[in-house]
Amino acid sequence: MSWDVLIPNEEMEAATSRLLETAALVGADSYQARNAAQGTHCKIGEQGLCCRICSMGPCRITPKSPRGVCGCDADGVVGRNYLRFTAGGSATHSDHGRSIAMTLYRSSANGNYNIKDPEKLKRIADEWDIETEDRDIYDIAHEVALRGLEEFGKPFGRLRFLKRAPEARQKIWRDNKLSPRAIDREVSLSLHMTHMGCSSMPEALVHQSLRAGLADGWGGSMIGTEFSDVLFGTPKPVDTTANLGVMEKDMVNIVVHGHDPSLSEMVVYYANDPEMIALAKKNGASGINVCGVCCTSNEVAMRHGIPMAGNFLQQENVVLTGACEAIVVDVQCIFPALGPLSKCFHTKFITTSNVARMPDSDFIEFKESTAAENAKQIVELAVENFKNRKPELIHIPNLVSKATVGYSVEAIYDTLDTVANSHIDEFQTMIPLIDCIRSGVIRGAVAMVGCNNPKVRPDYAHIELMKKLLANDILVIVSGCSAQAAAKAGLMDKEAGKYCGEGLKRVCRLANIPPVLHMGSCVDISRMMILASDIAKDWRIEISDIPLVGCAPEWMSEKAVSIGNYVVATGIDTFLGIDPYTDGSKGIVGLLQGDIEKWVGAKFYVEKDIEKLGDKMIERIEEKRAKIMI
Amino acid sequence: MKFFDRIFHGSNDIFSVATKAVDAAIAEHGEDATMAMPDTAYNMSCQLAYKGQKVMKLKDLKTALANINEMNTREQRTAAIFKAGIGTAMAGEIIEACKYVNTATPYEGTKYHGHFSDAEVRELGVPLVTNDIPGFVVIIDPAPSEKEAADLIRGYQERGIFVFLVGDIIDQAEAMGIEMGFPVRVVAVGPEIWAVSHVVSFCVRAAMIFGAIEGGDWDGFMEYTFVRLHAFVNAFAPVNDRTLAFGAGAVAMGFPVITNDMNYIRPIPKTILLQPNTKDFIETSLEARDIHIKITKIDIPVAYSTAFEGEIIRRPDMQIEIDGSRKDCFELVEIKDVKEIEDHSIQLFGPDIDEITPGSKMEAAFIVEVGGKNVSPDFASVFERKIHAYLNCASGVMHTGQRDMIRIRISKDDFDNGFRLKHLGEILYAKIKGDHDAIIEKCQVKIYTDPAKCKELRAYANDVFNQRDERLGSLTDETVENFYTCILCQSFSPSHVCIVTPERLGLCGAVSWLDAKASNELDPNGACQIVPHQKCIDERIGAYEDVNEAVKKYSNGALEQVSLYSILEDPMTSCGCFECICGIEPMTSGFVITTRDHVGMTPLGMTFSEMASMTGGGVQTPGYMGHGKHFIASKKFLKAEGGIARVVWMPAALKEQLAEKINATAKDLYGIDNYVDMIPDENDMQDPGDPAELYEILAAKGHPVLGMEPLI
Repeated sequence: MSWDVLIPNEEMEAATSRLLETAALVGADSYQARNAAQGTHCKIGEQGLCCRICSMGPCRITPKSPRGVCGCDADGVVGRNYLRFTAGGSATHSDHGRSIAMTLYRSSANGNYNIKDPEKLKRIADEWDIETEDRDIYDIAHEVALRGLEEFGKPFGRLRFLKRAPEARQKIWRDNKLSPRAIDREVSLSLHMTHMGCSSMPEALVHQSLRAGLADGWGGSMIGTEFSDVLFGTPKPVDTTANLGVMEKDMVNIVVHGHDPSLSEMVVYYANDPEMIALAKKNGASGINVCGVCCTSNEVAMRHGIPMAGNFLQQENVVLTGACEAIVVDVQCIFPALGPLSKCFHTKFITTSNVARMPDSDFIEFKESTAAENAKQIVELAVENFKNRKPELIHIPNLVSKATVGYSVEAIYDTLDTVANSHIDEFQTMIPLIDCIRSGVIRGAVAMVGCNNPKVRPDYAHIELMKKLLANDILVIVSGCSAQAAAKAGLMDKEAGKYCGEGLKRVCRLANIPPVLHMGSCVDISRMMILASDIAKDWRIEISDIPLVGCAPEWMSEKAVSIGNYVVATGIDTFLGIDPYTDGSKGIVGLLQGDIEKWVGAKFYVEKDIEKLGDKMIERIEEKRAKIMI
Repeated sequence: MKFFDRIFHGSNDIFSVATKAVDAAIAEHGEDATMAMPDTAYNMSCQLAYKGQKVMKLKDLKTALANINEMNTREQRTAAIFKAGIGTAMAGEIIEACKYVNTATPYEGTKYHGHFSDAEVRELGVPLVTNDIPGFVVIIDPAPSEKEAADLIRGYQERGIFVFLVGDIIDQAEAMGIEMGFPVRVVAVGPEIWAVSHVVSFCVRAAMIFGAIEGGDWDGFMEYTFVRLHAFVNAFAPVNDRTLAFGAGAVAMGFPVITNDMNYIRPIPKTILLQPNTKDFIETSLEARDIHIKITKIDIPVAYSTAFEGEIIRRPDMQIEIDGSRKDCFELVEIKDVKEIEDHSIQLFGPDIDEITPGSKMEAAFIVEVGGKNVSPDFASVFERKIHAYLNCASGVMHTGQRDMIRIRISKDDFDNGFRLKHLGEILYAKIKGDHDAIIEKCQVKIYTDPAKCKELRAYANDVFNQRDERLGSLTDETVENFYTCILCQSFSPSHVCIVTPERLGLCGAVSWLDAKASNELDPNGACQIVPHQKCIDERIGAYEDVNEAVKKYSNGALEQVSLYSILEDPMTSCGCFECICGIEPMTSGFVITTRDHVGMTPLGMTFSEMASMTGGGVQTPGYMGHGKHFIASKKFLKAEGGIARVVWMPAALKEQLAEKINATAKDLYGIDNYVDMIPDENDMQDPGDPAELYEILAAKGHPVLGMEPLI
């Protein structure tokens, strides 16, 4: 099978090599160089066997010293590290959600932030028994936001969004005591449980990992996603472009990077301001080009069609083009390396959040109350910086793919309506998708998510796995940096349908969709949970019976581990290409990759061989089909 | 059993039937017996299309069977059900083909149609692109009741959908008195499920004829049928595995299957639809295949649809006949000032049908007056020529001829339903205004039946016709500023472009220069675009830079250059729906012309179908060219090669139809009288396929071609 219209990995790697020549020229380092300098990673750490929770250590668990000073064994050390990793991720996503909730709380008709999707707001209000009739939309918004904020610290009760899951799944959570209480409580509890002298029992540590994960996926992340839609609009399919070639040689390039759309939305707004465009022209540019990196890119791409310059491991590349006037960052996954790197070019490295303070950056604190002036200042700074370019350093790789992005659950319903028949079907159901799976035209679906990681050839695992799945009539839904890998390669081009097996190819044509569906940023994996729930409800089966699996082949962050926990706890098997520092404990591995299936109907699979990882997913999907006799 | 396995099972079942049929045919006729389907240049077209296999003899079917067997891989993937489905259609074709060994007419004397000729495929080219036929339905097996069967068929007919019937629904249709046959667009294909393969053959030939898809190009056929043929299937419960296997073939081709079998069939959006109510089949199906039908509501008491266009009213069934050959009759469209027109006024002057003895002939003159700011006087004849099609579409009305040589029959059934002359006026008003509402603001119809008035008005009409003919005669390629493209056919033949000039009408015969001009004014972004011809490259062959630019642009780069007046140098391409085809006859250095209506052999040793397969689908084939009938009498026909004197053979019927005009052209060009008599036809020849005999006849007739320079 030929993949001629797609950009192959080799071409992207060649482009990176060319940019690294510029790095060498200006004396900048790179993650490749730093990764090499790190040498072989610490084996004990990699296996999760290093404990530095108290100052009696650090203790290293080895065959010769099977217990730490306090007597904790490998299972306890690995389990505690795993839970802390999860808590870190859960806290991070959830704090992102809280920040969006704060923005919603401060929204007003004449303020910096307005309500773009009032219908969605009312749906959430109804769900939470908040009065909507004859009320000002902002009154509703503030009450919904407050109710959302209470989810983080309420003293009693379980998370409200859990009710969105099918009843059978809610029962599994209840029966196994997995329903999270307040979000912050689950994170704090995780830290408490892993304090010196607390839990060392594998079951307890893994159990809390799942619950802390659920507090993220069905709590903080879901609040982040839902409230972002209310504030900035629910994504619907929009055409955009992807890969480094989206940077424009003759324009002021502002790269937005990070995760929180509150900042990037404002930057996008002011980049379109006629006054700013005039200023750009005065400075010799033909206009202002905003493009994105990482999940901020996903957020603005799916709401405004803003081009996607690259994913996690391309953040240095955008600066290395020599054509980046400003790289504006909010929170999460930002290399501190961007500071020193930007000093080698004219690029302004602008940090905006007290959460992510870094040396060698211009700090413009971004607040809801002063968002407009902050954003304007940032755009102005970038525009004025255009004239400082060093022409001899400019090289933008000529790589651009077309992509259609923005498949929120709402958009998926609308798309499915286009293939429903008004004389037979009801609208706004998942039935058309279910029928495709049930008949065998589509074998199943894989939710591909997660980051890049230098331990895996960057993007290679994402792209190769997607190609393999598509050829086997398996629909791929994506978010985060996996989504950008697909977009960069061209897999979100509707034309890419031709690379699918006949069944998926036909579905893509009839529904007019690309074969890889972009569902958003990493907090938007909560959308995937809703999708799975809605499929299960309309199909009248349990989530764990759907021929659907999750996959994070190149993951690296704590958030990814938190995500893995809630995806599995929701009943979706999750396939990892990198071990989450658990290899050192048979007990933890035995639970995560085995016995938790008895609790939640799903488990982890870890397989570093990408080819085998793909085969295992296909095998698992076929097993699920056989189980429900389709 | 899993859903996919039912398909594999059904496919295998059909394969076994095919294997037995081939064994039996070989046992009876021997493996070297010729295996040729009649009237087609694409023998065993399913094998040809999907496998690139040319079948010549019975033994070739063994290879075909081996191919089909390999296609049933039984993998749990959609690709496998597509392959198995197409394999099923190919096996079905073999079963049907075995009936045609040693006879071209195995269904003779039955109600079944069986195999479709290439001419039939080509005949549908124009109505398909004009959306007169918005789609096809294949209805399989009996409906729950005869009434439901009839309602369904009539419902499709009223919407212009071409209906293919397979299996026992044919008996139901017959019992309910539904007229069946190719002209009325309801075809009883065959009694057994494998008769479906004739429809598949029809579709793949459309792809080869109009789309220039080459045999063996699997993806090409898949794409063509999916995108361009708006077909779908209605299959009645119970749908067994065999039918399901054929259904998989339909689905592979892009044709949805709608069934009322609610058991054991898996629905797939827009692909396999379960509709328990047969009365909702039509709307469900049309939506599934994205067929949108524009319905013109006409206030008449009978059904109105393009499906009735080919309906014949026989003498015993007619209430009255308006006959221009015996009485003073005519139809005339005139352009008037809008102030003189009362919109939607329909007036009858003289007796109506009720006052005429049933079964007799009567006078009738129809004057349609239209007006609008941008209606050019030249368009009167364009609208007038459409009257034929407009009136024919009324169920129970038959119209032939034009001007003062019209014949209109109205059936007794129509009369009993209250149909009167004013309803003809309603049709003319609704269609002439409705189809051209971009330019026509007002329209009124006057119908005269008083014999004396008709006589008086006929003389007036003839004056108008004479003036028009003079004006048309003065319209030559040199005197007009612009030519026009016609790319109407691109929905089927994506790289073909017609260049329409006053002296060269579109090859389908349906688009004259005036038609193209009107069409451009009605829809400036439509199929007919203005082509200037200022930059002449070579006047002799009619090559223009601007024409080449247009051709390149509108063929999306598939064609670089065409000549307007040559057949040997860059001839114009064909879509596939041409009325005539001419081909070079090397021995005489002349050209042989034949038509779609002529099924016999030509001196080239080829029939129309075989000659037609040399070109079409937007491909240039020097020496062969498709064209309209009326291009033959044009002075530009074969101009580069020496003109009409190069024509060495034509079917007798075509000669008769064009005699007057051809004679006039030959007289003008060469000073020859009665030139048509010098052109041999099938009646002059003992062996119509013998070029040597042709040469002798030409010599005997003193045909001018023998004195001309050799072409090659």
